[in-house]
Amino acid sequence: MKRLNRRAVGLQLIVFVTQWGLMIIGFGILALLVAPLRIPADPGLGRYFDAAVKAMIALALSISWLFIWDRQVRLYFYRKREGTSEPV
Amino acid sequence: MGRKGWSKVAIGILIAVGSQLLIILRPSKSLLYNRLLRLGVMLPSGWEVTTAIILAIVSFPVTLVLTRFFMQVNAKKGIVGIDVHKLSKPRIPEMCGAAIPVTLILLSSAYVLIAGGNSITMLAFSLVVGSAAIVGAVDDRLKMRGIYKPLLTLLCGAPIVVLGLLYPNQVYNPTLQVPIFGSFHLPVIYPLSIPVAISVTSNTTNMLDPLNGTMAGGISIISAALLIGVLITDPAPSTVFLYACLLFSALGFFYFNRYPSKAFAGNVGQLSVGAALGALAILGRTEIASIVAMFPQIQNSFFFLSKIKRFTEHRALTAKPTKLLDDGRLASSSDPKAPLTLVRTLIVGRPAKESDVVSTIFALFLISGALALITMILTG
Repeated sequence: MKRLNRRAVGLQLIVFVTQWGLMIIGFGILALLVAPLRIPADPGLGRYFDAAVKAMIALALSISWLFIWDRQVRLYFYRKREGTSEPV
Repeated sequence: MGRKGWSKVAIGILIAVGSQLLIILRPSKSLLYNRLLRLGVMLPSGWEVTTAIILAIVSFPVTLVLTRFFMQVNAKKGIVGIDVHKLSKPRIPEMCGAAIPVTLILLSSAYVLIAGGNSITMLAFSLVVGSAAIVGAVDDRLKMRGIYKPLLTLLCGAPIVVLGLLYPNQVYNPTLQVPIFGSFHLPVIYPLSIPVAISVTSNTTNMLDPLNGTMAGGISIISAALLIGVLITDPAPSTVFLYACLLFSALGFFYFNRYPSKAFAGNVGQLSVGAALGALAILGRTEIASIVAMFPQIQNSFFFLSKIKRFTEHRALTAKPTKLLDDGRLASSSDPKAPLTLVRTLIVGRPAKESDVVSTIFALFLISGALALITMILTG
């Protein structure tokens, strides 16, 4: 009889739902605030500069997203110390 | 000829007859479709979608036969791996996951020839899957350094970019659809991010196959969720076919790969399946839903890389994330240098049998699959 680790599944459910919500908010920020931005630049390379700036903003958002994910998992599963094999 | 031989012949005949029937029935498809719809056999999405699913189901027996073939051939050639999470340390045939890319490429070609599928989409998909399989096969045989796999799989995304430039708006659409908030156009960033997306999906799938059946079972759950999402929202026949094909071929391989494994996928299977998922996200316009569906893989890879801080192979790790106890259960490593993999996270403080950990991982895939489905519905 296979036994599910319900505690781990429950905690992971919280992690996934939180990250899912944050991801949708992040894409919302990109769609509503970042994408409509028009960055003034040289007309020749302006298109690429504009794209690069927006990509950097998206990268910063995704790093923040992963940082929150990291903190959340460490808090739920490795609160005592990372090297432990003991439960939280 | 033995019973197994006859069953292979019977499957071959079934495929041949089925293909011929589809060719013969094509001219009178509307009449047949209406009758089948009345009988409840046909999907309301249309003849093309129903044909796509019927043809994709063929990938299940094809993968079964091919996996069996690779198991026999690779065992004879000594291409075997040790199942390190068992006390008896059995030797299992490796690289049997090659059955999946072979099936995907074969069936994609068959779909174009038989059902008149979009040949450019199928070509792009086949090239991505084929090239990722080659990278995986080379790594299986030559044991490359960890950095080469992500770099080489970057090139696997090139066919989509090149075909997209040659046939604009036929391969990918640079307008990203976002749940709730509409969409935004990415003419420069989108094509540039395709190779990165293929590299990430293939390598992250490669990293989450530490236990029996986790990759094949997880991909089956993900592709089933995304297939349902595509059927509910925008059932483009080519996308439906490819997701169904990935689902049934993953299930075919899972039959032999499930706990206790009789066949290992190898890098050839893992990288190609991950690349298939990445290619499908782009070709089928399910980018954000695919990210959500791959949450377990993303967590596993991110925590591995954030701890180890470099691209490396599991075999090269000095501190392993898990250890095998004398009673056959898996326990979390107490080494602070060990990476925080998903398996380690699930067993921290609670040693468990391998089959139990696999079930827990499948539960996580069910959660991420359900979230992906909601994402697709919200995207519309």
